[in-house]
Amino acid sequence: MTMTMAARTTAPTPSTAADIWTIGAPRLLAGLDSHGALDRAGHLAVHGPLPDVDLTRLLTLLEGARLAGRGGAGFPLAEKLRALHGSSPNVVVNGSESEPASQKDRTLLRRTPHLVLDGALALAAALGTRRVTVAVHDHLAASAVRAALAQRPDGRRVRVELMGGGFVAGEARALVRALNGGPALPPGRDVHLTDQGVLVANVETFAQAAVLLRLGVRRYGESGTRAEPGTTLLTVGGAVGRPGVVEVPLGTPLGIVLTAAEARDTRAVVTGGYHGSWLAPIGDVGLSRAGLDSAGGSLGAGVVLAVDGATCALGELARVAGWLARESAKQCGPCRFGLPALAADVQALHRGDPRAISDAFRHAGAVDGRGACKHPDGAVRFVTSGLRLLRDEIEMHLRGGCGRPVLSRLPIGAGR
Amino acid sequence: MSSVVGSEVSHLPELQIDWTRCDGHGLCTELLPDRISLDEWGFPIVHARQVRPTDTVTVRRAVSACPALALRLTTR
Repeated sequence: MTMTMAARTTAPTPSTAADIWTIGAPRLLAGLDSHGALDRAGHLAVHGPLPDVDLTRLLTLLEGARLAGRGGAGFPLAEKLRALHGSSPNVVVNGSESEPASQKDRTLLRRTPHLVLDGALALAAALGTRRVTVAVHDHLAASAVRAALAQRPDGRRVRVELMGGGFVAGEARALVRALNGGPALPPGRDVHLTDQGVLVANVETFAQAAVLLRLGVRRYGESGTRAEPGTTLLTVGGAVGRPGVVEVPLGTPLGIVLTAAEARDTRAVVTGGYHGSWLAPIGDVGLSRAGLDSAGGSLGAGVVLAVDGATCALGELARVAGWLARESAKQCGPCRFGLPALAADVQALHRGDPRAISDAFRHAGAVDGRGACKHPDGAVRFVTSGLRLLRDEIEMHLRGGCGRPVLSRLPIGAGR
Repeated sequence: MSSVVGSEVSHLPELQIDWTRCDGHGLCTELLPDRISLDEWGFPIVHARQVRPTDTVTVRRAVSACPALALRLTTR
């Protein structure tokens, strides 16, 4: 194994790269304000050496810090490890990041790949396996990880897979099917990946684990809330002056993030991405899983999008509803036929059709919970939360329109 | 998923649909009209998932009649 001589790979940050900023002390994003990307030497200078841990110690750390998955579902990582069956499990870093507004995972992989690899390789070592796969949709992330692997003595244990596919292809079971040579589609039967000896977790989850191994439970918990210690990455976008990938302590009030992002005239916030929820811009809602849940929002994979008063919010909702319908894998009838019907209802409402509101809720009810994956459920949550929040807007549209253009504040499919 | 019915925790077998297989043929609703109706696109809505022993034979007949092998009786 040859170690590279370059001290820093200040890989040219592509023009599509998200800006990064932090509230409070950066952990995952530490060292990134001054460097384009952290190579092995830079990474070790910023983060220090990674302590060796056995499985018992690892589980103690993960449980002590209540480390939950950062891909959206928020499942406790320790529970996944405990549920693993069979020897030599496969550790899969899910870097699909198929949520169109999310940038955090590719930002970690492009700019601090060693932190993610530290987490994945430490988990693999504790589990007694040498099988680690990093699956990504983003080719710049793939090259950054390959370059990082060449700088590590343990880099040969990791394979990098550049995957294709849309929104649903990023779902863990669809991803594992694709890695095994099958279609990138969720299976129809209930499948527990841990029963098959596969541990899939989100990119940020592994980076958080690497931070936790270094800090220990007590210092890790100096940030965040009691129930949800640590920081989280957000992708902040929409009608803001400073969009970007943002590291904040869990529980940081939404208002602080919106102000720091230079959001103006915010009328609504989309939290948790396009399987998430529309929320009124209530400043003191804490950005944690529990904080957002109790406010009717969702943290999901950390997407926060501001919708301002210059755009037609109902039109924004209709655009995303159409995108969600197109992203159906079209495997399951209710999703295949129901999501286009629901999207058409929102379009009709935008045009002022008074029957469309009851049609929309009826179609939403006919789709919810009736698919092989959570795409229909997530799409319904997104659309119905929007319809509930935008009552005044809907009223205006029924009386002839709101007079605002649709400014496409909510990105769909772009930037990939 | 086992569910709580009244005070009784049930582990009865359940009717499930593999949505990736179901093509909306509709035989299930003809054979089990009390349990299954169809939505506006012709896909089944299961009203009573849990199957008591007295109904097992009828339900199994419907399961084996599904041309897409999408209707299943699962035990947990």
